[in-house]
Amino acid sequence: MNAVELHKKLESNAGLLIFGILFVSAIGGLVQVLPSVFQDSLVTPTAHTEPYGALELVGRDIYIREGCGNCHSQQVRPLLAEVRRYGPYSRAGESAYDRPFLWGSKRTGPDLHRIGGKYTDAWHRLHLVSPRAVVPKSIMPGYPWLADAPADAGDIARKMRILRRLGHPYTDAEIAAAPAALQGKTELDAVVAYMQVLGRPPPPDEGNQAP
Amino acid sequence: MSQAQAAAEGASPPNAGATATAAALASYSDPVVRFLTACAVAWALAGMAAGVWIAAELVWPGLDFGQPWLSYGRLRNLHTNGVIFGFGVSALMGTALYSVQRTCHVRLFAPGLAWFCAIGWQLGVLAGGASLLAGWNAGKEYAELEWPFDIAIAVVWVCFGVVFFGTIGRRRIRPIYVSNWFYGGLIIVIAMLHIVNSLALPVGWGKSYSLFAGAQDAIVQWWYGHNAVGFLLTGGFLGMLYYFLPKHAGRPIWSYRLSIVAFWAFTYSYIWAGPHHLHYNAIPAWVQSLGMVMSLVLLAPSWATMINGVMTVAGAWRKLRTDPALKFIVLALAFYGLATFEGPMMSIKSVNVVSHFTDWTVGHVHSGALGWNALITFGTFYFLVPRLVGGALHSVRLANVHFWLALAGTMLYVLAMWGAGVSQGVLWLALDHIGDVRFGFRDIMASMAPYYALRLLAGVVFLVGAVLMAWNLWRTVQGRPTAVVHPP
Amino acid sequence: MALRYRSPWGLLRNPVVACAQLAEDAPSPHAVLFRHTVWLALLPPVFAFVGAANFGWRLGADEPLVLDTGQLALVSLGYFFALLAGFVGAAGAARWMAPTYGATEDFGRHLGLVAVVAAPLAAGAVAHLFPHVFLNLLVLIPALIWSMYLLYTGLPVALGTSPERGMLMASSLIGFLLVAVVILLGVTVALWGAGVGPLLGL
Repeated sequence: MNAVELHKKLESNAGLLIFGILFVSAIGGLVQVLPSVFQDSLVTPTAHTEPYGALELVGRDIYIREGCGNCHSQQVRPLLAEVRRYGPYSRAGESAYDRPFLWGSKRTGPDLHRIGGKYTDAWHRLHLVSPRAVVPKSIMPGYPWLADAPADAGDIARKMRILRRLGHPYTDAEIAAAPAALQGKTELDAVVAYMQVLGRPPPPDEGNQAP
Repeated sequence: MSQAQAAAEGASPPNAGATATAAALASYSDPVVRFLTACAVAWALAGMAAGVWIAAELVWPGLDFGQPWLSYGRLRNLHTNGVIFGFGVSALMGTALYSVQRTCHVRLFAPGLAWFCAIGWQLGVLAGGASLLAGWNAGKEYAELEWPFDIAIAVVWVCFGVVFFGTIGRRRIRPIYVSNWFYGGLIIVIAMLHIVNSLALPVGWGKSYSLFAGAQDAIVQWWYGHNAVGFLLTGGFLGMLYYFLPKHAGRPIWSYRLSIVAFWAFTYSYIWAGPHHLHYNAIPAWVQSLGMVMSLVLLAPSWATMINGVMTVAGAWRKLRTDPALKFIVLALAFYGLATFEGPMMSIKSVNVVSHFTDWTVGHVHSGALGWNALITFGTFYFLVPRLVGGALHSVRLANVHFWLALAGTMLYVLAMWGAGVSQGVLWLALDHIGDVRFGFRDIMASMAPYYALRLLAGVVFLVGAVLMAWNLWRTVQGRPTAVVHPP
Repeated sequence: MALRYRSPWGLLRNPVVACAQLAEDAPSPHAVLFRHTVWLALLPPVFAFVGAANFGWRLGADEPLVLDTGQLALVSLGYFFALLAGFVGAAGAARWMAPTYGATEDFGRHLGLVAVVAAPLAAGAVAHLFPHVFLNLLVLIPALIWSMYLLYTGLPVALGTSPERGMLMASSLIGFLLVAVVILLGVTVALWGAGVGPLLGL
């Protein structure tokens, strides 16, 4: 049976056509994506990578909620200029506790993966509420509402338990202590705490140069 | 094959004699098509207006007035979801349901279910859009909607598939016309991508954690993200092209055989291209390289389709005198050619290293989204809407004005983003004589203001054109019932 | 016989007449190439060389990028040949499309049309004298809109086809030109990455 006849059969049989599309479009995913999903080394934390603490986790979820990832990447590429500008390039294992990943696709603002420890907490507070007070030409929106909202939404223990089910090594004691850790904190505190742990601690020295 | 072409030919409104002989057959389910078309136009205005607003926020950041829901990070998600899922999918669903009946010579299978899909989809996108403004965000690009919406989308999508394939199942013409394969590919592949990429454990109604973490999540997300572009914004709209272009032109597709080869090559190769969004990121090198190679391969089927379209129109130039819509399709093909060339080029690692993370990517997306998706949909609507009510377009002149606004808006947008993107790319990476970075990020960011202003102007010009179209189409259908058309 | 307008300036001043004359005179490719194309292609690189040598490239950030003269000459020469290739390539593409749209296949007329259409852009390149990207966009975008208008209105006249087929052919050519521009961008960026032009930390 030649190709034309084969195709005549295919184009007159809806079931075969559906199966054909599914089969042909699945190959790429099976060969390219599936092995990655089973490659444990991609999500094995580096020796320095810890799961987020309660306050940082809340901060990260606010970062997602406000769509910060639309303008900020969290992925330092292993390029000389990027390593000079931002710090050690990003390792896969450093994102092992990131659900979802926040590497981003656009830098309207700068990359944030190595932002931790670069600025003081006070700078971040001012900057988040009123960006142009510290960076006059900034086009970042201000987030004044974070300063008034409590960080504790009552679901922190549930969040941590669900992440534990997904493999994040939270202990019972950490989960039990989580609500207390959020006591009296605002959403602004949480985002600042998250900023300060981003990319910290940096991987050992060899990452200061591009490979 | 000629039979399949005849199927497409049969789509013209039957003459009085044919109508009389086919009176026994139920008429086509066109009211649902009309509803979806109206929704698509409304979403085009809403989604593009949101786009113009966020473009303005990048020039004047105070435009969010300190309101969370007007904040760039939330409104941008409304823009992308509004245009892709509101405008794009409504247009695709409407035209798929219109063309599948005419290429199969039967009324829709389960018209009630089709109405469920149409209304369900609108409610889903509407409530989903509101949830995005409220801060529900799954954090994955183009898949921001949270799990309750993901489930609703999956249900509606499967129902859409049932209606579509059910109609094909009871067709009265043996060969399945090529437009239906592209629409079919859209339904099947998007279902697969959406379900896998949305896998998550919920915490509450508006919050969930992805089943995938870090690098694995990145690979799965861009397998989804790139192929949402592939099978929805490219493949789905190619279905539109393959049905409506021959109808506009009044002649069959230039090479039916080429359309077959291109379809399978496209379906096979597109799915591999996702990792070019992750060049130099922390994923395995072989995945990046494979993604790049397959992106280059993709040029062949993409351009095969473009040539097929261009040659089909080339023989139908006389129609341009009477059909303002054909112009939009011709120009859409030109921008399709640009976007499908630029994409593979930007997937080359040595180009991507400069273009990645810059506005060049944004320009590239919009050369496709404005130049290809929006223009071909506009052209299709100018053709389809008068036929849905059995009348003539309210104003051909207004449609011609819209054409020039759309062309100018798209060109300005693309040029502004090329300028911004290339500048960002080179300035971020530039070193000085002692090997340190040469320019501060803040200075580079501040220098983007003129480009962003130009982009805002481009967006306004394009939106004004869309408003003219909405008015024109509204006047066309105003007070007219949907035409009753029977299968031949 | 060449175009009656003997200089590129004539094309710029009265493009509509130039198109009509193209159709009437059918100049030889050789004549158009040396009387018009080469000069039009020479203008932007010369302006760019002078501008970059004096002011450096201002891609937006405050401090300009300055290249040494040797590098700059190389880049400008590359620019010239790229433009020349672009002119001839566009004319070649137009001639390749011509039978499809019932237009003339006389290569001289195609080259002439490209020269007419490109003349505003070549003249707009005077903005290269101060190589600030936004200033250049500001000047070149109106020039480009004018060029596109010339393409749509001039093509059917210069190449002797109906306005409808001319409209289709002009749209196809725009597609071709957009791709050509993006190739130029891609090649430029790849060359930067390979060490020609500004020093990038890759």
